[in-house]
Amino acid sequence: MKTTRGTDAPIIETLGLTKVYGANGAAVHALRGVDLSVQQGEFVALVGPSGSGKSTLMAILGCLDLPTAGTYTLDGHAVQGLSGGELARIRNEKVGFVFQSYNLLPKASIVRNVELPMLYAGVGRKERRERALALLEKVGIADKADKLPATLSGGQKQRVAVARALANAPALLLADEPTGALDSKTGAEVLELFQELHRQGNTLLLVTHDPHIAALAERRVEIRDGVVAAGGEWEASHVQAGSRTAP
Amino acid sequence: MKASGAFRERLLGAWTELRENLGRSVLQALGVLLGVASVLGGFSISDSQRKRADEMFIKMGGLDKLNVMPRTAMKDGQPSALQQANLGLRDADAIGGEALKADAIQGVSRQKSARARIVSTFADQDRQVSGIGGDYIPANGYGLAEGRGFSVSEMEGGAPVVILGTEAAATFFPKGDALGQSLRIGDIPVTIIGTFQERVFHFREGGGNQFWWRNRIIAVPANLVQRRMNGDAYRRVDRVTFRIPDMAAMSGFAQQLKGLVSANHRLQDDFRLDDVAARMRRRQSQGSVYDIVFLLSGVLALVGGGIVNVNIQMASLKERVREVGVKMAIGASGREIFKSFMTEALLITALGGAAGLVLGVGFSWGITRSIGVPLHMTPASFFWAYGMAAAFGFLFALYPAWKASRLSPMEALRYE
Repeated sequence: MKTTRGTDAPIIETLGLTKVYGANGAAVHALRGVDLSVQQGEFVALVGPSGSGKSTLMAILGCLDLPTAGTYTLDGHAVQGLSGGELARIRNEKVGFVFQSYNLLPKASIVRNVELPMLYAGVGRKERRERALALLEKVGIADKADKLPATLSGGQKQRVAVARALANAPALLLADEPTGALDSKTGAEVLELFQELHRQGNTLLLVTHDPHIAALAERRVEIRDGVVAAGGEWEASHVQAGSRTAP
Repeated sequence: MKASGAFRERLLGAWTELRENLGRSVLQALGVLLGVASVLGGFSISDSQRKRADEMFIKMGGLDKLNVMPRTAMKDGQPSALQQANLGLRDADAIGGEALKADAIQGVSRQKSARARIVSTFADQDRQVSGIGGDYIPANGYGLAEGRGFSVSEMEGGAPVVILGTEAAATFFPKGDALGQSLRIGDIPVTIIGTFQERVFHFREGGGNQFWWRNRIIAVPANLVQRRMNGDAYRRVDRVTFRIPDMAAMSGFAQQLKGLVSANHRLQDDFRLDDVAARMRRRQSQGSVYDIVFLLSGVLALVGGGIVNVNIQMASLKERVREVGVKMAIGASGREIFKSFMTEALLITALGGAAGLVLGVGFSWGITRSIGVPLHMTPASFFWAYGMAAAFGFLFALYPAWKASRLSPMEALRYE
């Protein structure tokens, strides 16, 4: 069912999203009215030069931060005006993060890292363990379950991060430069994993500055000076030819 | 966060955190440890002293005693002229007092002392002679070593018989054959019909015998002193003691007795009542002042430790901002972060407190041993020591935990 797109309500729907840091004279307008919609099952690349506002947009889309103005609906939930606790819950249930620097908890074993989002969601101990192991199996590192993150290579760490992001079957997978810290070979492997996840019906939003990586996505959304410069709406024509091949 | 074993997970996480930062955790636990040890130690030392004092009182013949003693009635800073007209404390007061509450009173004893020259074949000394009546012997914790006590007729008639304490017996009959011999008290020849057991009580191990003077007793019937040594027709006494095991009846009786004796003495305030149990209670409340001081010093240690812990936690929070950010990104609410920080702090408190109890026991043992008093610890001391630590641990954990829970997830994630 996740393969149908364009028909259901969109996963991401923003309208006039604005973010202002600071106040009055020193105010910085990071976003100046972003209209963006992402359908279920899409693979979207968010591109833009540094300082364009894409990190801010990513933070708001991931419910790490709230917009100053405008509306944001994530998988049917209006996000603006929510309390910190409610936002945490949405992050927990609806969003899976993959960071450039992996951000695994160094003192917890691999399997515990993957279990953590399920713990916050209130999943029982046994089920948590089973699901975490299944996810590690899926990303191909089930044999490292009891190791500490420090013993893993960069590519393996990123696979753990992906498994953790998938833990609560989120509506949206947000990846921020996921291959930025990897060499090109492991990077390609991780990207292959993302493409596989896309084929399985996950909705992916990948932030990158690398045009080759962006080319893998079905759609490029370009942010410039706090507004969407291109690709804000899904159209059939946006699907790039040959998007399924690695660079 | 219900049936998912979240608490267990937090505890496990806290334990991991503690183990990974052993030095820091030990420092944090140290403050708690010292606070708990000092509260427990202080309490236990004062408990041990008090217990020992109680034992001493019991060995002295119990707490259930009300003493009536004569005193000088004063008027304008001078002994009252009316005192001369009074008869002083006398047998009539004892007999009247007993009649007031005959069922509650278990015994009445009288004491009438005099100084006299005591002469035996071996010694010739000026000594105190205790004229005793009623159940003085058991009421003051004496027991007979050999011979017998005074018979009723000897008491009544003021017979020339004497019972000696061990020191007195040894002084006047160094050969140890006092029983059956005779002795002169003033110009009265008296027969030794018994000797008392030795009275020994060392408040502190290795300390002096608190009861040594009781072995100097030279006891004769009170009537002998009254009739033949003082020539006192009014049968005045130095002390009347009522034994009332029922503590509740005691205070009522004391009031009644006061009225009676006052009336007997023509309202002259020439006597005083001494309730041994009340004296004991006063002493105990004095002891509780020390307890408060001990508690306070422990609290100060805990507050000091608490402030240090807040500092350490705040410093360690700086290192952990990123970790908090990650946890928040994957769905931990501020409340969850708060709980996990609290769990850590409370685990440190719990462990430090437990170690503090152990140290406190050792500490109390060492001190009581060094002053030679047997160690006596009560559950209340443990409760207070640990309870205070838990309360302060909780209080001082709040601020850092609150700070951590208020971090913005995005800023925390970007924190380097």
